[in-house]
Amino acid sequence: MGRTTSKDAQALIHSLRSAYSATPTSLKIVDLYVGFAVFAAIIQVVYMAIVGSFPFNSFLSGVLSCVGTAVLAVCLRIQVNKENKEFKDLAPERAFADFVLCNLVLHLVIMNFLG
Amino acid sequence: MADGESSKEATARTLRNAFGNVLSFFILLLIGVLAFSIRLFSVIKYESVIHEFDPYFNYRVTQFLTKNGIYDFWNWFDDRTWYPLGRVIGGTVYPGLTLTAGTLWWLLNSLNIPLSVETVCVFTAPVFSAFASWATYLLTKEVKGTGAGLTAAVLLAMVPSYISRSVAGSYDNEAVAIFALIFTFYLYIKTLNTGSLFYATLNALAYFYMVCSWGGYTFIINLIPMHVLLCIVTGRFSSRLYIAYAPLVVLGTLLAALVPVVGFNAVMTSEHFASFLVFIIIHVVALVYHVKGNLSPRMFKVAVTLVVSVGLVVCCAMIAVLIALVASSPTKGWSGRSLSLLDPTYASKYIPIIASVSEHQPPTWPSYFMDINVLAFLVPAGIIACFLPLSDASSFVVLYIVMSVYFSGVMVRLMLVLAPAACIMSGIALSEAFNVLTRSIKFQLPGSSGTSQSRDASLNTDGEQNDIAKTEKMDETVKERPSKKNRKKEKEPVEKASIRSRIEKRLLVLPLEASVIAIILLVLLGAFYVVHCVWAAAEAYSAPSIVLTTYSRDGGLHVFDDFREAYAWLSHNTEVDDKVASWWDYGYQTTAMANRTVIVDNNTWNNTHIATVGTAMSSPEKAAWEIFNSLDVKYVLVVFGGLFPSLHA
Amino acid sequence: MGRNNFSILTILSITLLPILSLSFSTDSPTDRRLLVLLDDLSLKSSHSIFFNSLKSRGFDLDFKLADDPKLALQRYGQYLYDGLILFSPSIERFGGALDLAAVLDFVDSGHDLIIAADSSSSDLIKSLATECGVDFDEDPSALVIDHKSYAIAETEGEGDHTLIAADDFIESDVLLGKKKIEAPVLFKGIAHSLNAANTLVLKVLSASPLAYSANPSSKLSSPPSLTGSSISLVSVVQARNNARIMITGSLDMFSNRFFRSSVQKAGSPRKYDKSGNEQFVTELSKWVFHVRGHLKAVNLRHNKAGETDEPAMYRIKDDLDFSVEIYEWSGKSWEPYVANDVQVQLYMMSPYVLKTLSNDKKGLYHTSFKVPDVYGVFQFKVEYHRLGYTSLSLSKQIPVRPFRHNEYERFITAAFPYYGASFTMMAGFFIFSFVYLYHK
Repeated sequence: MGRTTSKDAQALIHSLRSAYSATPTSLKIVDLYVGFAVFAAIIQVVYMAIVGSFPFNSFLSGVLSCVGTAVLAVCLRIQVNKENKEFKDLAPERAFADFVLCNLVLHLVIMNFLG
Repeated sequence: MADGESSKEATARTLRNAFGNVLSFFILLLIGVLAFSIRLFSVIKYESVIHEFDPYFNYRVTQFLTKNGIYDFWNWFDDRTWYPLGRVIGGTVYPGLTLTAGTLWWLLNSLNIPLSVETVCVFTAPVFSAFASWATYLLTKEVKGTGAGLTAAVLLAMVPSYISRSVAGSYDNEAVAIFALIFTFYLYIKTLNTGSLFYATLNALAYFYMVCSWGGYTFIINLIPMHVLLCIVTGRFSSRLYIAYAPLVVLGTLLAALVPVVGFNAVMTSEHFASFLVFIIIHVVALVYHVKGNLSPRMFKVAVTLVVSVGLVVCCAMIAVLIALVASSPTKGWSGRSLSLLDPTYASKYIPIIASVSEHQPPTWPSYFMDINVLAFLVPAGIIACFLPLSDASSFVVLYIVMSVYFSGVMVRLMLVLAPAACIMSGIALSEAFNVLTRSIKFQLPGSSGTSQSRDASLNTDGEQNDIAKTEKMDETVKERPSKKNRKKEKEPVEKASIRSRIEKRLLVLPLEASVIAIILLVLLGAFYVVHCVWAAAEAYSAPSIVLTTYSRDGGLHVFDDFREAYAWLSHNTEVDDKVASWWDYGYQTTAMANRTVIVDNNTWNNTHIATVGTAMSSPEKAAWEIFNSLDVKYVLVVFGGLFPSLHA
Repeated sequence: MGRNNFSILTILSITLLPILSLSFSTDSPTDRRLLVLLDDLSLKSSHSIFFNSLKSRGFDLDFKLADDPKLALQRYGQYLYDGLILFSPSIERFGGALDLAAVLDFVDSGHDLIIAADSSSSDLIKSLATECGVDFDEDPSALVIDHKSYAIAETEGEGDHTLIAADDFIESDVLLGKKKIEAPVLFKGIAHSLNAANTLVLKVLSASPLAYSANPSSKLSSPPSLTGSSISLVSVVQARNNARIMITGSLDMFSNRFFRSSVQKAGSPRKYDKSGNEQFVTELSKWVFHVRGHLKAVNLRHNKAGETDEPAMYRIKDDLDFSVEIYEWSGKSWEPYVANDVQVQLYMMSPYVLKTLSNDKKGLYHTSFKVPDVYGVFQFKVEYHRLGYTSLSLSKQIPVRPFRHNEYERFITAAFPYYGASFTMMAGFFIFSFVYLYHK
């Protein structure tokens, strides 16, 4: 039983890897970016758990800036993904412009809320 | 031949489109004028004056804002109310309305239009109800097409429930909040249909404006997650749903936390937890869909078993922690008003002061008829129309009406949230009904019958009944292809689809006489609605309640201006720093009109203080003197209503 | 302009005179003009020592019969007198415009009053006393009797047990002067008790524990209603508006005969040549007519530490300085009042700060403290109530606001990781955009 599970898991990882290697570089960059943002968010949550939630607004803006960045990047990834049929007619340039606008708003709010 | 035909049809279509757009633009303009002018009865019958209680506070705040600027407003500590506690106005008020009116005033003045602050305040509500009907048009258009949109906009422009809160002079939060509510929903649906981050950003900003304006924003932040959850459960998850929801939660939460009155509540109270929970769920679901797309079905099964076994444990732990956190607070993190929404008996059991306000009571059945009139009968038809076919957008509208019916049943004030939903539903129902009826008339008229001429029939229909033709086109496109670009690029499939649906619809043809009679009946129904709305606007909802009028038996008009005289007396005959005690209803008016310090006012944030005044008011003279003296009270304002004969005439 | 004023002055000089003298009296709290109402003009001579001592101290005395039909306390809304002495115990109805309510109004507007009753007291006088917070014995024939502390008469061996030699004084330098009254005070008259509900009335001279109030000529049938030291012989009231009232059950106390007579208390070996009446009455009249024990507080000031201007509003946790000047009237001029028990409160429904003020011996009281971490409309309150002194009750309203949005702490060390993360994300956004756009 355990053997089959581990075998399955290996097969799973393998197929995941092979599937992922097929994704274009631009999407990989986005994935890296998302991973970085999520990592930063997790570090901050851990830090908050240790130090305490005193400057709560700073904590919120710190974490939410990371989460927001990640979410927006995911949205971008969805939109520019060629395999996604839903956004065939949406030009990647337009998608990126929207993404930039959204990020500007996000960071403006973060700046406002940080202090 | 085929090419020529199609190009001819294309030009005809563009022409029709252009003509239809211009027509609907003018219709919308007229709807705006209608929405604005139907609310002017109060100004014509009485005078241009701020109404009731809360608007006076908003008016005073606006005056302060225009005089002292935004930073002083933000940091305003008001020492003239809630003596001796004072009230931090900047941190306890929803600033949306005030900022809107202040901006309007500033704009007008910088254009050298010297309107007084009071005038701007009086006319803010009618202006925004015009905006609200336009927003309704947009929202309904996204759901069911232009025809339904226009009908819904007309209905909303004069729905009595909304008129009651937005007549000229009713300068209250709801005046702008309803617009913000509908507009936020519109942008959500728009984002859902297009999957554009641009609209998602706008959506977050509209949500921010709503949070600024009204405490009812929690309705949005609960309704949208519910809809998302509904979509996920019914298997309608799409990337567009993710784009519409995930940025809204992050940006919306951050923006809401910027509003001082909400602040950390945006992440700390249970009202907002639903959105976070759904936020987590949607990520899990998105991940699952993503992985599913990349894996073979067998591998996916393996992955599911692995993830489920691990994930279940993690989820259980998290939910346990969450429940423990929430349960540790006595009210479970919900505010009193929200709790009384979930448990209608909550307020009367624990917070009598909330229950004591008449607008927090459950409504009676006649009030439904009074406030939304014939819409109440059209709503079920609209719901049915929304299920034919069910799209993401129409499922959202259905959810909206269901929730708002429940909430309005609990608290009469939330009838206001129901009104737009009822208008949208009735708009859809009416438009669909006209659509079906006129089509069957057209179909049976001589010269345009027969399957071969169905296209001509549709052309004729388009020519004469522009709205309905557009509706037809729209709902075909909407359900299949949401974005405009799509429609243009893929004309062929659309054509095919429309022909197919036309064939389908031919089966729904009704007898000619029945159709004509039904149309006449529907028109009569509409006429009845219009008559009722005008009556409601003119008679029932225009009294400013600061000036009272009665009719004597011989028909003569009698005007009581005692309130304003009393406040004028106070402002002329008492010292500036004198404290006036009155029951809390009159607090806002006393500070705004008489400019005297009051002990309690309509912002019932401190129950103990109100109870103190209540004790004093109901105590014998000596005991009352002790209490009032401890509060430095010099004057007591008592409203004695015994001399108003036939006040409710 | 000046000439105009002058001509108006000359024309209206007669009518303006009382107003001018009134404006003079506001400067010093001491009374100037006293109205003395008598049952009988013979009292003028039988009590001449008391009256002369008042005159010699600068008071204008206006003697009137109590039933004078032209009697009036005020004219054109202005009071003609600063004080009223009622030496007319038997009057049933005042003459002229004067009645019970007028006398009470007189007191309510801050004027002073001496009421002397005796065994012939009328209901009018008694009800007036009741309004002031003391109750005379109901029995019209009752007198204060004391079989122990009576005065031994010079001629008859035994003496009269209704002639009380009282020496149970209140201990207050302000009321009775610094010099101790050695000799007992002679008293012959009716008893009164203090109304328990009235907190403003004080017993200045009380009867001995063995005294009682009864009709001396008849046999005692029931226990006397007033007994022991609950009997007050002389009481004073200081009203909230600082009007002062003296009430006594003996008109004879003020008489020349009692002033002059020698006194020996029964059971006491010591015999005084002169009774304590003159000293007692003189000192007490000084108090009643505001020659002594009158305080004023002026220049209540507060400002932020390091500033001099008085702000319209404080912020929570501000440091502030508070000062007030207190002076005492010495009869001629305002002298600095020196005490170490004056306190200031920062009050909002209950005191949040209570600080004792330090003084510089020149009348300036001062302290500094921190505004509490509570916002609201506060008051600086100085409540100073001391026996005999006029009560000082000052308050000044001052709102305290919370921090402004830009007054909170910024750049908190604990939050640096969050700042770092936010800025990293911003930088990350730029780098990402760059890389994403140009990676091909």
